[in-house]
Amino acid sequence: MKKECIAMLLAGGQGSRLYVLTENMAKPAVPFGGKYHIIDFPLSNCANAGIDTVGVLTQYRPLELNAYIGSGQPWDLDRDGGGVHILPPYQSATGASWYKGTANAIYQNIGFVDMYDPEYVVVLSGDHIYKMDYAEMLQAHKKAGAACTIAVMEVPWNEASRFGIMSVDGADRITEFAEKPKEPKSNLASMGIYVFSWNKLREYLIADENDAASENDFGKNVIPAMLGAGETMLAYRFAGYWKDVGTLDSLWDANMDMLATGSGLDLFEHDWPIYGRSTNAPPAFLGAASHTEHSVVTRGCVVEGAAENSVLSENSTVEEGARVEYSILMPGAVVKRGARVSYAIIGENAVVGENAAVGSAPDGSEGWGVTVVGPGTRMPADCVLKANHMLNRDGKEAVR
Amino acid sequence: MNGLHGVIFSYEKEPGLRELVEHRMPASIPFGGRYRIIDFMLSNMQNAGVTDVGIVLHGNYQSLLDHVGNGKTWDMSRKYGGLRILPPFADNRKYQSEEFRGKMEALAGVRSYLEEIRQDYVVLADSDLIINIDLGAVYDAHLASGADITCVCSSDYRQTEDATFFVLDGDGRVVRTLADPKRPEGYHSLEIYVMSKELLLRLVDECEAEEKVSFRKDVLVAMRDRLDVRGYVFDGLAAQIRTVKEYYDRSMDMLRPRVYRELSTAARPIRAKEDDETPTYLAPESKVVNALVADGCIVEGMVENSILFPGVTVGRGAVVKNSVLFKGVSVGEDVSVSYVIADKNVTVGRGGTLIGHENYPIVIAKDAAV
Repeated sequence: MKKECIAMLLAGGQGSRLYVLTENMAKPAVPFGGKYHIIDFPLSNCANAGIDTVGVLTQYRPLELNAYIGSGQPWDLDRDGGGVHILPPYQSATGASWYKGTANAIYQNIGFVDMYDPEYVVVLSGDHIYKMDYAEMLQAHKKAGAACTIAVMEVPWNEASRFGIMSVDGADRITEFAEKPKEPKSNLASMGIYVFSWNKLREYLIADENDAASENDFGKNVIPAMLGAGETMLAYRFAGYWKDVGTLDSLWDANMDMLATGSGLDLFEHDWPIYGRSTNAPPAFLGAASHTEHSVVTRGCVVEGAAENSVLSENSTVEEGARVEYSILMPGAVVKRGARVSYAIIGENAVVGENAAVGSAPDGSEGWGVTVVGPGTRMPADCVLKANHMLNRDGKEAVR
Repeated sequence: MNGLHGVIFSYEKEPGLRELVEHRMPASIPFGGRYRIIDFMLSNMQNAGVTDVGIVLHGNYQSLLDHVGNGKTWDMSRKYGGLRILPPFADNRKYQSEEFRGKMEALAGVRSYLEEIRQDYVVLADSDLIINIDLGAVYDAHLASGADITCVCSSDYRQTEDATFFVLDGDGRVVRTLADPKRPEGYHSLEIYVMSKELLLRLVDECEAEEKVSFRKDVLVAMRDRLDVRGYVFDGLAAQIRTVKEYYDRSMDMLRPRVYRELSTAARPIRAKEDDETPTYLAPESKVVNALVADGCIVEGMVENSILFPGVTVGRGAVVKNSVLFKGVSVGEDVSVSYVIADKNVTVGRGGTLIGHENYPIVIAKDAAV
């Protein structure tokens, strides 16, 4: 079935900088913001933008992600002649190999894309929190007659050397691209969101595959190759909320942005909903002696103790006398009686035992960092886990 | 597929529910922060492995149709069987305009559906009941006892409109059936009945031929000597919702941790249609205690002893106490609300005061601006 535009979502990376949170699941499956998972954002953006065919490229620990996406129905992507498709690496007559890089992952699925014979392909990452209308970006791509359009946003100059930086001309055509430059010439950073004309991308993917020296990566190889060959490359400026949640600190930050009205992360807007596969649970219950302030709560939460400046996810519990502040309780997390949790991420279904203490408030006297209790970890009573430390389900403690 | 088929009745008007049923059937009244009343029975059936369910409808059922959709929520969107909506069939002109006078008449109205039932046994239930019951256990008890009809009943004596009571003997046989008694005795019927498909069809045909319409009067009472009718006593929480007062009291019961836990047991979850709302935001200096709060709410004021459905906003300085606010209700700044049931999308403007009484909560009709 012919489609004008389909999306390919890169969801195979391990997300090793999320440490214990991705020991057993791929980064896009990590819970976010109370009732979402990171992958809900690109999937919902596709659905809202009218892109009804999405290939999800998986490789690292895909089971949670596969189960989570299922038929795609929560995102209205359970569709006739399209919908969401999980694309793991596969064996063929000439052999089999893992996805060697982002470009190789798409290369290995040229057959999938060709089934839909699209004019355009949107290439997305599974680790960004943002709301964006890809249809608008596609319009800009078409209008400019570009071979490739890259979404960019202005970042503070002093942070520019952490990003892929674009230099552009007066019409926002890309003149130069530098991956993490020491001395940036521009502050327009790539957001890792691309629109390609499929006939062009197909050519470059094949050429890239034939180049033994290539790392088969979009940012390192394909984009520079297209630029070097003089293709029309457009920068598409985006000014809304966008955050890469690839590190523990940025994941914690982005969750906290749910609480900050000025952050720009507004999920209450009904004209661009973010969908998710929610668990079925009753409404949040806030007990008679509870205290919950400046926090996000959702279905299945039971609060009998105190929570401030925190994100309490589905089915999380704060027992009587427990206190949670500046923290994220992921789905099913339990903070037992008398326990204290500060500046921490408590993973899915983890239990913080009675009177235990996790993390501590930054008082300026020593370095601090987000403390993390991995999914499924059962912390015994009275246990102490210091700031900047991590604990996994096997009881292994580490300093970040 | 197990051997049990579900039939849910949703045709009774229940005038005691006043404004709450102005735009909907009792079955689709919002309850408990995110449910519709019928969610409980549909979920009970799903949890007992029932895959095929018919809902017998008459009257103002658009809101119910919107809610149940294709039955996907209860895993009843199936290639074969699944959820069927049963308004009076078009070939059955007799029942087109007038409402059903009783269950037997309602069943006669959908007789061709009953014939096609794939299972050997049928569970009949009303849609105005809040309950989390293991219907599989009721079915097993029915099979074990060899009874013709098994009736679920409870020792809860709280009176409801038009209640039925059963007096049981030592073996659990129903020896007397009391219709809306002034002096209740025995067990309060929860109007859940299990019998074989074969018996059900026989009773429907017999009653239709003799122009009998009521299950209670024309079957349970009149055929007492012919049928082996037994009670199944259920001691958990069960509440029929037939008046505003009952609605209000049972809603407030949901704030008791024991009731909340019983109705939301992980073993038998109650499922509701997905609302796709974002999590609720409790602002700095808000205070929310002893409350059930659904997703998509923004609370800047104070909420106590109350239930908030999805998308409710409570402005700065507002105080909401002892109230039930339906989906999309907006309470403005410095508003004071107590003992109020506010229907969908009601807005209460800045500075207003609305105070009902525990025995007579104010009901504000859908979309009203106060």
